[in-house]
Amino acid sequence: MTRLGTLAVIIAVAVAIAAPFFLKPYGIFLISTWAVLTIAAIGLNLTLGYAGQISLAQGAFVGIGAYTVALLTPLGVPFFVAFFAAGLLCFAVGWGLGYPALRVQHHYLAFVTLAFTTLVFLVLRNEEWLTNGIYGITGTARPTISGWKTSGARDFYFLCLGVLALLSLATWWMLRSPWGRAFVALRENSIRALSLGLDTRRYTLMAFAIGSSLGGLSGALYAPLVQFIEPNSFALGLSFNLLLMVIVGGSGNFFGPFVGALVAVLLPEWLRITQGYYLIIYAAAIMVMMAFCPSGLLGLVERAIRALNGRRADATTSVRAEGAGT
Amino acid sequence: MTAVLEVSNLRKAFGGVVAVDGVSFDVNAGEILGIIGPNGSGKSTMFNCVLGQLQPSAGEVRIDGQVTTGARPCDLNRLGVSRTFQLLQVFPQLSVRDNLILAGQEHQGSMASRLFGRADAGLGEAATRMIEFFRLSHLAEEQAGSLSYGQQKLLDAAMAFMAGPRLVLLDEPAGGVNLTMLGHLRERLQAYHAEHKATFVVIEHQMEFVMALCTRVLVLAEGRIIAEGAPHDIRRNPIVIEAYLGH
Repeated sequence: MTRLGTLAVIIAVAVAIAAPFFLKPYGIFLISTWAVLTIAAIGLNLTLGYAGQISLAQGAFVGIGAYTVALLTPLGVPFFVAFFAAGLLCFAVGWGLGYPALRVQHHYLAFVTLAFTTLVFLVLRNEEWLTNGIYGITGTARPTISGWKTSGARDFYFLCLGVLALLSLATWWMLRSPWGRAFVALRENSIRALSLGLDTRRYTLMAFAIGSSLGGLSGALYAPLVQFIEPNSFALGLSFNLLLMVIVGGSGNFFGPFVGALVAVLLPEWLRITQGYYLIIYAAAIMVMMAFCPSGLLGLVERAIRALNGRRADATTSVRAEGAGT
Repeated sequence: MTAVLEVSNLRKAFGGVVAVDGVSFDVNAGEILGIIGPNGSGKSTMFNCVLGQLQPSAGEVRIDGQVTTGARPCDLNRLGVSRTFQLLQVFPQLSVRDNLILAGQEHQGSMASRLFGRADAGLGEAATRMIEFFRLSHLAEEQAGSLSYGQQKLLDAAMAFMAGPRLVLLDEPAGGVNLTMLGHLRERLQAYHAEHKATFVVIEHQMEFVMALCTRVLVLAEGRIIAEGAPHDIRRNPIVIEAYLGH
């Protein structure tokens, strides 16, 4: 990472820590939502951005994670046991969902994962004996960790931020390891990767499983955050929203999901002052952004920095040339 | 002499079109075998069948005496068999160094150990040596996609050698490369062959390249071997002239 990048991360972390002390409860709820959905977006960025496997199922995994915690904690299962159970369950289901990716790619794979999301939604809605159907589940308790009660908005935000930090570090570690290189190879040229000894089957399944697992862990925090979950929350809309976060932030860029989730969570709120027009403006802004910056906001920043460096280099060259001419 | 690669009665049909029609040949240890033939003669299809990219319709492939027909390319690579493709196949968004590390990393430990091991999989120095060997040092940290076509061809070949293979199959390594770069590529291939005693099979249209590099040449036409021999004999063979050289 460049010095500028490191400085930007340090400032972002400082802002994330200080923010809840300056915000009202609804503002804290919004930044908690950002932290929780960023985890799911990091997972999708791994599957889609790095490994190149399109998925419209990330919202379903958030749902599976949320229902796992919402169903287990009332039975007396400790929160963190339920939390890890959600991650493990989504890892296993994600591994299974990865199998179609071994046979189909691109928009065909998108439809497979879209069908999976619909399937999960139908199970959550129709299996009332388990999920309480359209009435949903209320009051998922926020955990107490070694005497630290996270029932307050600010405390729960810090729990979400801490989990986000840990999972981000773990993902960073994985992406800088040979696995990260293998995921990129899978995205760029799976046939060549296979000929170089990469077991593309295992890496594809692993990309799906880990990405889905992060979706599940995000859901495990989502249930105690919103305190009311119902099937519609995890229908296709959420999967598209998570996809939007990855694309807007910068697909395949480690920090893309952080920025994308910020835009997707906060922009609609900021646009509320336009009242009935906010969704129209939001949609138009996304269309313009995609047309002019398909590599996302961080791609735009990188382009600007490159252009600036190029202009500086040109200026230096011309100064030298002028100096040489005199 | 020991045969590293044995291909027996290999056949590949796509519906009614027979691309490879009962091809048999052996490649001995340390040999550089050239395979030539007109476009559509089945050279690349035969390569893809030997290397597991395509399932042959019939026939058998043995590597070091072990039947490998239908084995997956990644398993063959771990047996010490490497290849390049007809079209450029580098990873454009990775740096030159990362392309080379990637080409060797799956030979280092298990999948789990690679997750917790060093970021360069312990291949940093080997990658530097390979970069120097192929004279790409000034481009080591550049994205592969930003290199010229000839430089990418060199990188493509370097990747095939990164894991120290015993058998390397090169599919048109000289395709689209200018004369200066071509000489450089041939010299590097010859140097690697001399140093590592590896066995090469080279598909190529560039006749001067084949004649200078190969110790034996096979000629394919319409999926069958029509001639075999030393390069200077092949050049004069009337069947070959008629089928391929056209003059």
